[in-house]
Amino acid sequence: MGRLLKKIYDICGAISGGLILCICVLISGQIVLNAFGRLSPGTLPSTIPSYADFSGFMLAGATFLALAHTLRAGGHIRVNLVTSRLPKRAQFFMEGFVLIVAAVVIGYAAWFVGSLVLESVHYGDVSNGIVPVALWIPQSVAAFGITLLLVAILHTFVELIQAGEPILSTPDEV
Amino acid sequence: MTDPMIALTLLALLIGLLAAGVWVAVSLTIVGLTGLVLFSNAPSGLVLASTLWGHSHSWPLTALPLFILMGEILLRSRMSDDMFTGLAPWLSRAPGRLLHVNVFGCSIFAAVSGSSAATAATIGRMSIPELTKRGYPESLIIGTLAGSATLGLLIPPSIILIVYGVATEQSIARLFIAGILPAVMLVTLFAGYVAVRAWMNPDLIPPMDQTYSFKEKLRASRRLVPVALLIGCVIGSIYGGLASPTDAAALGVVLATILAWSSGAFSWSLFGAAVMSATRTSCMIALILLGAAFLSVSMGFTGLPRNLASWISSLDLSVTALLVALTIFFIILGCFLDGISVIVLTTSIIMPMVTAVGIDPIWFGIYLVIVVEMSQITPPVGFNLFVIQGLTGIDILRIAKAAFPFFLLLLLGVVLISIFPKIVTFLPGLIGN
Repeated sequence: MGRLLKKIYDICGAISGGLILCICVLISGQIVLNAFGRLSPGTLPSTIPSYADFSGFMLAGATFLALAHTLRAGGHIRVNLVTSRLPKRAQFFMEGFVLIVAAVVIGYAAWFVGSLVLESVHYGDVSNGIVPVALWIPQSVAAFGITLLLVAILHTFVELIQAGEPILSTPDEV
Repeated sequence: MTDPMIALTLLALLIGLLAAGVWVAVSLTIVGLTGLVLFSNAPSGLVLASTLWGHSHSWPLTALPLFILMGEILLRSRMSDDMFTGLAPWLSRAPGRLLHVNVFGCSIFAAVSGSSAATAATIGRMSIPELTKRGYPESLIIGTLAGSATLGLLIPPSIILIVYGVATEQSIARLFIAGILPAVMLVTLFAGYVAVRAWMNPDLIPPMDQTYSFKEKLRASRRLVPVALLIGCVIGSIYGGLASPTDAAALGVVLATILAWSSGAFSWSLFGAAVMSATRTSCMIALILLGAAFLSVSMGFTGLPRNLASWISSLDLSVTALLVALTIFFIILGCFLDGISVIVLTTSIIMPMVTAVGIDPIWFGIYLVIVVEMSQITPPVGFNLFVIQGLTGIDILRIAKAAFPFFLLLLLGVVLISIFPKIVTFLPGLIGN
């Protein structure tokens, strides 16, 4: 079970990386079209339709899908100035508290982003660019990513109980 | 409850959550939720969901993962290895000699990476052993490194300026351009300080070990030239109005990849590592931005920042007095929080106050970044100090002491841009709206 979950986090993280590369390719494609438009107007279409919208949706996908992977890699910033000075036993309880609080908040967010998706399906909301995109498609990726983050937090909580000692890490600053 | 009581309650809650080690983004969300549920009538779940979605796919924010990726790729290419050998021949005659490698190496690398800790680690790994071997004084080696690495936050393309721009809805292009002159000013201050120390005490600096002909100099720095050109292209295309920062960032990723491959010693596995590292960093920053956006929306519903702003304007404070108070506040905040958290907290709560007294938001962004730079080298939470401690094993207080003159130089920088705001606003003013 644990190994399967880890696999899922990493696959979703890799998809996020792929999405960022796609954004890069899409925007570069548009830059090439711009350049062509200056040099010899008319040979190629001047824009990729709604490329800014698509980049944005891919960015949202990249962010939400990477949430769980980043959490597991210790990539989200937290302040450990106080807790790292506590005795191991107290640190253990603090981490349990942190994980429960986070699970409640992220669960709440996952629930309401989920209902946002249902609402978009119900009203048939589309993006207002040249190419209308049904909003529930990128939104369900967001809902899935947040739910996966919830799973990763609960997974970490179970591991914390099993280990019986503090396990959370903190990243360097960017 | 009265406004000041609400503000204090929320602040205490935030401090409590952060101190307990709750993730910064989650802490911001909880404070936002508390504000909405207790002090407004807005439907908190709906507001949360629509903010999380609405702020996650904007065009300016798209520049963030791309600039991070550009830095990660160049970080893994050979260029960082060449920084010392490439710069040393040019600087060996300057007063203070090779200490300037720290200052200029950090500046160039900062332009590439936009991260202060990565700058300190990468430049320090090469320059600390080389400079120590040649007999330069420890305090100046560490001081110049810690101080100059903070420039990573200001020199465009800067990640933290993107964060500020997205959070306050300011033009990122204008912020980048506004950062150029203050960055030049700070580099000059740092280099000037080293030169003055060398003049005052010539025994401090070991003698020149070797002279170079112009040709040798060029050859030593041949790998740095393409990187300089890359940065020039990226910044130039934004400055010239040819590309938005997001376009320029995509171009930067492509050029950086070509550069890394052509320099040799780059592989698919390094490329993959760069992409995954960029994915995690950008995810972390985006989540904090989402939490901060929600906190801002929530604070908007409670009306606190507006009331705080009108209270501040009713005090008839001079802009100078307000800035002095804010600077002290940020330095204290920066002792305990990382730069990005300081920026997003500020924008949620303090921005209306700042615009109410007539401070230019672009100018304020640059000011804020320099103040955050100062907090990078103050204990107990100064990320550059941690990095250098990791590199050298020297006690953190000794590092902080070595970095203190540079803290004062940054403070001088803040005073200068406050007296002469044109240093910030001149270049963006040239490009008009």
